[in-house]
Amino acid sequence: MHPAGPAAEAIAALWWVMLVGSCVIFVLVMALLALALRRSNVEGRGDGSEGERVWLVGLGLVFPLLVLLALLAYGLVIGERLAPRDGPEVVTVRAEGRQWEWRFSYADAPGLVTEGVLHIPAGTPVDVEITTVDVIHSFWAPRLAGKLDAIPGHVNVLRIEAREPGEYAGVSAEYSGPGYLDHRFTVIAHDADGWAGFLRGAAP
Amino acid sequence: MRDVLRVFGPFSVWFACFSAVYGLHGLVCSERWSAAGLSLWDGRLALLAACIAAVSIQVGVALMLRAPRLAASSGFTQSVSLWLGWAAVVATLWSLFPVVVTSTCT
Amino acid sequence: MTPLRRHRALTRIWASDPGWKGWFTTVNHTDLGRMFMFTAMIFFVVGGILAMLIRAQLATPRSAFMGPEVYAQVFTMHGTIMMFLFAIPLIEGIAIYLLPKMLGARDLAFPRLTAFGYWCYVFGGSMLLFAMLTGLAPDSGWFLYPPLSSTLGSPGINSDFWLIGITFVEISAICAAVEITVTILRFRAPGMSLDKMPIFAWYMLVVALMILTGFPPLILGSVLLELERAFGWPFFQVAEGGDSLLWQHLFWLFGHPEVYIIFLPAAGIISTVLPVMARTTLMGYGWVVAAAVALGVLSFGIWVHHMFTTGIPHMALAFFSAASTLVAVPTAVQIFAWIGTIWKGKPQLKLPMLWILAFFATFVIGGLTGVMLAVVPFNWQAHDTHFVVAHLHYVLIGGFVFPVLAGLYYWLPHLTGRRRFFRLGEPAFWLVFVGFHVTFLAMHWVGLLGQRRRTFTYEHGQGWEAINLISSIGGFITAIGFALVLIDIAINALVTLRGRRNPWGAGTLEWAMPKPVPAYNFASLPPVRGREPLYDDPGLDLRIARGEGYLGDPGDGRRKTLVVDIASGRPEQVVVFPSNTALPIVMALVTGVAFLGVLIKAFWLVPLAVLGVAALAFRWVWSLGTRTDEGLLDAGHGLSLPLASASTRPPGWWGTAFLLVANATFFASLLFGYAFLWTVAPNWPPPAYLEPGLAGPALGLAGIVLAPLGLRLAERLLRAGHAMTPGLAIALTGAAATASAGVLAVLASADPQGHAYDAIVRVIAGYVLIHVVLAAAMSVYLAARRSAGFVSPDRYGEVRIVRLWTDYAAITALLGLAALHLPGALT
Repeated sequence: MHPAGPAAEAIAALWWVMLVGSCVIFVLVMALLALALRRSNVEGRGDGSEGERVWLVGLGLVFPLLVLLALLAYGLVIGERLAPRDGPEVVTVRAEGRQWEWRFSYADAPGLVTEGVLHIPAGTPVDVEITTVDVIHSFWAPRLAGKLDAIPGHVNVLRIEAREPGEYAGVSAEYSGPGYLDHRFTVIAHDADGWAGFLRGAAP
Repeated sequence: MRDVLRVFGPFSVWFACFSAVYGLHGLVCSERWSAAGLSLWDGRLALLAACIAAVSIQVGVALMLRAPRLAASSGFTQSVSLWLGWAAVVATLWSLFPVVVTSTCT
Repeated sequence: MTPLRRHRALTRIWASDPGWKGWFTTVNHTDLGRMFMFTAMIFFVVGGILAMLIRAQLATPRSAFMGPEVYAQVFTMHGTIMMFLFAIPLIEGIAIYLLPKMLGARDLAFPRLTAFGYWCYVFGGSMLLFAMLTGLAPDSGWFLYPPLSSTLGSPGINSDFWLIGITFVEISAICAAVEITVTILRFRAPGMSLDKMPIFAWYMLVVALMILTGFPPLILGSVLLELERAFGWPFFQVAEGGDSLLWQHLFWLFGHPEVYIIFLPAAGIISTVLPVMARTTLMGYGWVVAAAVALGVLSFGIWVHHMFTTGIPHMALAFFSAASTLVAVPTAVQIFAWIGTIWKGKPQLKLPMLWILAFFATFVIGGLTGVMLAVVPFNWQAHDTHFVVAHLHYVLIGGFVFPVLAGLYYWLPHLTGRRRFFRLGEPAFWLVFVGFHVTFLAMHWVGLLGQRRRTFTYEHGQGWEAINLISSIGGFITAIGFALVLIDIAINALVTLRGRRNPWGAGTLEWAMPKPVPAYNFASLPPVRGREPLYDDPGLDLRIARGEGYLGDPGDGRRKTLVVDIASGRPEQVVVFPSNTALPIVMALVTGVAFLGVLIKAFWLVPLAVLGVAALAFRWVWSLGTRTDEGLLDAGHGLSLPLASASTRPPGWWGTAFLLVANATFFASLLFGYAFLWTVAPNWPPPAYLEPGLAGPALGLAGIVLAPLGLRLAERLLRAGHAMTPGLAIALTGAAATASAGVLAVLASADPQGHAYDAIVRVIAGYVLIHVVLAAAMSVYLAARRSAGFVSPDRYGEVRIVRLWTDYAAITALLGLAALHLPGALT
């Protein structure tokens, strides 16, 4: 949970909001339960029909609907923001999974292929086109963004971005057989010079 | 059997409509849609139309449950099915509103 | 007649065979319910041991205890056993044991089907155990995603064991669901209208209907994947026009409802036990019924939330995210109805209540993490990590195992007829509760730190060591707790003193019978006026024993119970049950041979076994009904009722109708798969669509019209007292016409290994063909029944059953014809 890019940051923020909200709701429900258990020693309550309105309509219907509506809206807004949209400076790379390695190629440097290491420019949105040649894998660089599956015959596009240059760990996150554990890769984010150098130096 | 159908009907209709809209969305985003010369805007319109149809069907079901001809044999199943009828309308609005607010195929 | 003499007479009629033979020939729901529960518990122990192996492996980094191959088998089998061989069968067992007793019937609607389902479960489960013991267990995760699970990733027999064994077990679930549905709708105490049903029955009605519509997609998926593995029909291979995503859709179309199929019965147990523990009645009965129904159906609309990371467009994700959050609402209604019930009652902290409180604390957390996972962006991070593992255990153990244990302790006096004396249950409870939370709270955290599920080990220095060790220690504490629970139940079941009839002071009918439970349940069937008959009439149990209810006269030595009107519970017919027989176990064995033939690729075995099953099925149905018109039977209370087998819609008609619901879901899933491949699969369209021609559609349409018409004519002739032959002949001609259209389609799809289109055309045509042949065979059977005197102008219910099948075959033929020929006709 050390986000290093806008997508991971947004999701981390979402997580903290949900964690706090959940704790509040959990405490509330447990408090009501305790209250119900204690109160039951008190005699002389009605037939419970007025209770139905409070418990079932108020707490059972209205309360969750309001909370969920807010949460759903929040989640959808973030989801929309993380979607890969066309922009002037989007860099496109391709990630191809297989048992058990990743191969990366670059739209800006045709013919260039790296194995196990994905190079990207820092501070720039990058679209990763994810696919596979054998079974299903999943591309996941936790500090940069959420995961997206590599499905045979399909190409899925994931938007990632690293704020700062550096090395970020990545793994495959869909079980793919005995070699699954070590099915990893590294994302290296370069500064502007380093990225230009990478494209130039490696391109023919 | 009518009572049982009344109780299970409204949400089953919700599921049918929901799946149909999802299926339509799949079609809109597939190559078949563009191959037929249709644009994403046509798709959005088709989805909107489908949603309106779904909501109307669901409201229709909720109203139909009030019809004396289809009345349940007991007050209990009558009222439970009426609640479920309107709950299914809410469920339809709730689960299909992304058609209005989210991007179509990305 | 004294109560004792009545008891002896009824026992003579209803008792299972004595000695070991009784195990194999019993059709009694009390016996079979216990057998189901006991077997499920054995699988629970096996699954639990596997869980401990997993926690032992993960306790320390770079553990050398298991390698990746063994670990893969262990986690796959742990999930598979717990979901398919423990949870679902345990629910079936509980329902089979309890429902007739709660509803006031003497047995389930189709006693032999109960037994058949049980043996299918035992044989299917044994196949998987055998695979595990020989090291051939499935190893691609419990949801078996192709291509990893197909020949590409798993060339061995491992995946076949899963596909064959689980499908076999699912037959058992479908059988149970059919009969639970029919029992709840029609086999109740006189006067028990829908609004007076015990709340557990409402829950089980929802669950049974969910099984009927939720399991067929997976059965279809398994059939397709097995066809791909055995014959190379490429449904899930993208290069040949398949798509591995199709499996995920079919699997989760089953898999998500499955979670609620497991949770809802547990919720039903809480709704039953909690009010008794709180010495009051359930708050908002109608609300709870509505919530259960809404939850059941909503759970079908959220299958894609298991596929949020598969690259589905955001709008579709948003649909399913919205629908997923929506299920929290009916859940909340139930939770607050239960808390409200406690609030209006006077709760006692007995052992069942402790488990229910543990349920609250655990399930609410599981529900909240569930809502988190329903939020798409968070799901992208947490998917396939230990966070999900922790979440699902909170939901399944908190939402299923804890309530079931509450129920087990609640009904223990009923099951054993004894008082609980040894107090091992309380320390066991605390061990499980504390151990569980230690294990899985820790697991949430390590999941957020990035530990993936299904990785067999991890490295030093990732900061995961301490958390995993804590989690493992918690896991072993939980296991010790569960072991103590089982020991507690065993010793209290075996050695303690006899207990009172209604120790908790409950109001439902199952407490109105002597203990141990007599084979016939009720000496006479009690008239019911409220939801808690024992509260309305505290002396009811004695009056039942004195024979003051319906059918109190043992009479002619046949097993009899009442069939009531669905809505009002008004008695309508008397049904006569079949008695002890080995037919179910033999039929399950022969069915097993068919499955085995596919498993070991001895395909010649399959048609032989199918013929065997057909012959046995013939015997099965032949023994039903009567050769004479019996007129009205005395049901007691001055009520005279006809025999159910002489009615226009006998129980078999209802069973057929609900079986066809499941069957139709199967066919609908097949058409969905076809449409899915057509829109989504990358390598479509196929090289060529089927050429419609004239012969196929013409023959097909002719048959579709003729067969149902023939059956209707046959019925009219029969009721007028004529021979049915002309009508049946027309029906058979129609069947022959449709069948030849089916054969033409099969022949036209010449290359099922080359493209998924040809393969799926073959499957659709084959499906229609099978049903047309089946309906035709039934017409022939009907002619035999007529000449043997089982069918008469006054007893024509069987004609209606055959008509149902014939109409169904015609409808599927029509849909199949359209699906196969439209693409070709349009292009």
